[in-house]
Amino acid sequence: MKLSEMAEFKFIGYIAEIMGKRSLSIAMENPTKLENLLRFEGKKDRFVLLINKEIGNFDSVINNEDEVTIMSIISGG
Amino acid sequence: MQGYMNKILRINLSSGKISKEEISHEMKIKYIGGRGFAIRTLWEEVQGVDPLKEDNKIVFSTGPLTGLPLPSSGKMVIASKSPLTGGYGDSSIGTKASMHLKKTGYDMLIVEGKAKFPSYIFVENDEVKICDAKDLWGKGTFEAQDFLEAKHGQNTGILLIGPAGERMVRFASIISQKGRAAGRTGMGAVMGSKNLKGIVMKGNNEIPLFDAEKLKALGKGSYGLIRGSEGITNKDQQNYDFWLRQGTMATVEWGQENGCLPAYNYREGTFKFAKQLDGYAMEKIKIDRKGCPLCIMQCGNIVKDAEGKDSELDYENVVMLGSVLGLKDLKQISTLVRFADDYGLDAISLGSCLGFLMEASEKGLISDGIAWGDYEGCKRVIKDIINNRGNGAIVFEGTLKAAQLIGGNSKDWAMQVKGMEISAYDCHGLPGMALAFGTSPVGGHHRDAWMAAYEIGKDRFSYGREKVEKLIEMQRWRGGMFEALTVCRFPWVELNLVLTKYLEFLEAATGLALSDKDIFDLGDRFYALMRAYWVREKGIWDREMDVPPARWFNEPLKEGNLKGIKLDKGKYVEMLSMYYELRGWDANGIPKKETFQRLGLGDVVEVKRNG
Repeated sequence: MKLSEMAEFKFIGYIAEIMGKRSLSIAMENPTKLENLLRFEGKKDRFVLLINKEIGNFDSVINNEDEVTIMSIISGG
Repeated sequence: MQGYMNKILRINLSSGKISKEEISHEMKIKYIGGRGFAIRTLWEEVQGVDPLKEDNKIVFSTGPLTGLPLPSSGKMVIASKSPLTGGYGDSSIGTKASMHLKKTGYDMLIVEGKAKFPSYIFVENDEVKICDAKDLWGKGTFEAQDFLEAKHGQNTGILLIGPAGERMVRFASIISQKGRAAGRTGMGAVMGSKNLKGIVMKGNNEIPLFDAEKLKALGKGSYGLIRGSEGITNKDQQNYDFWLRQGTMATVEWGQENGCLPAYNYREGTFKFAKQLDGYAMEKIKIDRKGCPLCIMQCGNIVKDAEGKDSELDYENVVMLGSVLGLKDLKQISTLVRFADDYGLDAISLGSCLGFLMEASEKGLISDGIAWGDYEGCKRVIKDIINNRGNGAIVFEGTLKAAQLIGGNSKDWAMQVKGMEISAYDCHGLPGMALAFGTSPVGGHHRDAWMAAYEIGKDRFSYGREKVEKLIEMQRWRGGMFEALTVCRFPWVELNLVLTKYLEFLEAATGLALSDKDIFDLGDRFYALMRAYWVREKGIWDREMDVPPARWFNEPLKEGNLKGIKLDKGKYVEMLSMYYELRGWDANGIPKKETFQRLGLGDVVEVKRNG
C-alpha cells in the first residue's frame, strides 16, 4: 500500500509516551472521525492537534492522505 | 509581614561599608519581591550611570516563597543597569544560593561600589565579610565553585563569574553549581566591573510564615500534583516521567515539527540534523539531573561531553550552540555549553554571536572567518571573545554593536532586540512570539511570554487583537507574578500546577490575598516602571526599539514545511500599536501619565531622559 493511501500520525513529546509510539500509519476504507481512529486519554487542554498543519480536533474527519500531529503544550527553556 | 525576612543587606565594595535596612510595608505590598524589588531599587538608585562604572549597582532579590518547601521555590532575580543593552536588565537563576540568601536573613542584597582588588562576599547569617579573591581571579566558575565549597562547605549557596565576567564581556553570566546560570543581560560583567568574583551564602534562619500548617499541606499536595500521583489520570504520571527524562530538551523535536527551531543564524526554522540533538539523542548520553533545591522536576540534563567532562544541557543552550551554528554533534555542542558555563558566558548570546560571525564570514565581511558547523573554530572564537581579540573582539559587546562595526546590512541579521540576542525560537511564522520578543522588558528573551505554543494551537498566522491580549496576559503572569514570587513556571506550564495555586502559596506564606486583578496590576506596574527605566536611561526612544530584526520580515524561509513564510511588517506594526493601546502607553511605547497614576506610580509620571 502506498503511503498516500494511509493517514500518517505523529505524536510529539509526552503524547508519544501516552500512545506508546512516536508515529503511526492507518489505512481507512472511508474518511473517519479522528475520535474513532485513536483512543486518547490525555487531558484535552494539554495538547495541540494539527491536521495537515491546520488546527483540528477529535471531531475532525481524517482522510487517507492526511498528516495528523498531536503534541503536548510545552514552554521551551 | 510574614514570608519575608524584612531586611535588605547593602554592601559597598568601595568603602567596605555594610548596612542592614528594613523593607517598607509599601514596598512589599506594591512590589511583592524579586523583579518588583529590583526595578523599584534601580529606578530610585541607579540613574544616568555607565553600567560598568562603580556607581552602577547590582541587586540580588528573592521573593516571599523563596526557600520554602514548595515546588520550584529556589529562584532569585539578579538585576542591574545592563552593560549589554544600556537599559533595565535582569536574569532569573535557580540555585541553592537563593535559599541561602533568604535564610541568612535578607530578602535582597544590594552590591554597590567597586572593590580595590578581586574580592568575594561571604555572608553567614549576621556575619558579613568582603574576602580576598586574588587566588580565584582568572579561574573558571567550576574550579572556583570547588575551591569555595572546600573552604566554606558544601551546604552553601555560591554565585560566581568566570573570566568572561572579569573581562567584562557584555554578555557575561553569573553561574552557580557548575551550570545553573543567570545568563541574560550581562550581569556577570557588572560583577566583574566591581572586582567581585563571587558571593558565598550560608544561612540557617527560619523563614517566618503566616500559616505554616496550611503551607505544608499546600506544598505536599502540589508536589503530588506535579508527580502525577494526585493527578486525574495515570497519564499525568507518564508526563512527569517524560519530563524527568528529557526536560526542556523535548522542545527540539517540537520546534522542528513546527518550523520554529532556529538554524543557521535564524535563516531557517528547521534543521536537517535535528534528530541528532533532540531529547531522544540526549537521553542516550545522559548520566544525571541537576537543578534547584526543593525541586522535584529538575531541568538540568547532565551528559558527558566530547572531552569526557560533565555538561548541563537544556533546550536553549543546545539549540543556540547547535542548530543556530549548523553543529550537529551533541557531544561537541555539550562541550561548547560547558565552555560557556565555565567561562561565564550567556549561552544564548554566545550562540547568536557565533552565528553572526559565521554568517559574516560566509558573506565575506570579515577575514579569518569561521564556517557553519566549525566546532574547533567555535572553541577558538570563544577564547578570542574572552580575550577581546581577533573576530572575538567584533562580538565582545554583542551582535548589535558587532553590526555597527562591520556595517552593511548586517543589522538585519544581527538577531537581537534592544541590544540583547533573541533566544532559541525562529519567528518567521510566529507573529505573536515575535511581538513577545519585541516587547520583552529586557531585550530579546522568551521568559515573560512564550507565545509559540499558544498561537500554533489557535490561529498561528494571525495578527489579531486576541493574540495581543494573550501576550499581555502572559506578561502579567509570567513577567509579573512569577518574577515577583521568584518561582519557576515549569510546574505550571509543563505539568499540573494551576496558576491560582501560587496565590494560595503566597497567602499561606504572607497572609496577603491577591486576586487575578491584583496580579494583573502588579505585572502592569512592573512593565510601566521597566519601560520608564529604559526611556530614562537610553535618553532616546522610539517604537523601533520594540521591533525584531529585519530578517524575519524580509527573508522568507527557504526550507521546511513553512517554506516561503515570513512576517508582515505592516501587520506587525499594527499589532504593536494595539499592544501599546491595551497597555495604556502612547504611540511611541511610553506609558501615559494616567497609566502611571492608575498603577500607583505617580512619582514616575515625569520621565526625565538622560543623554
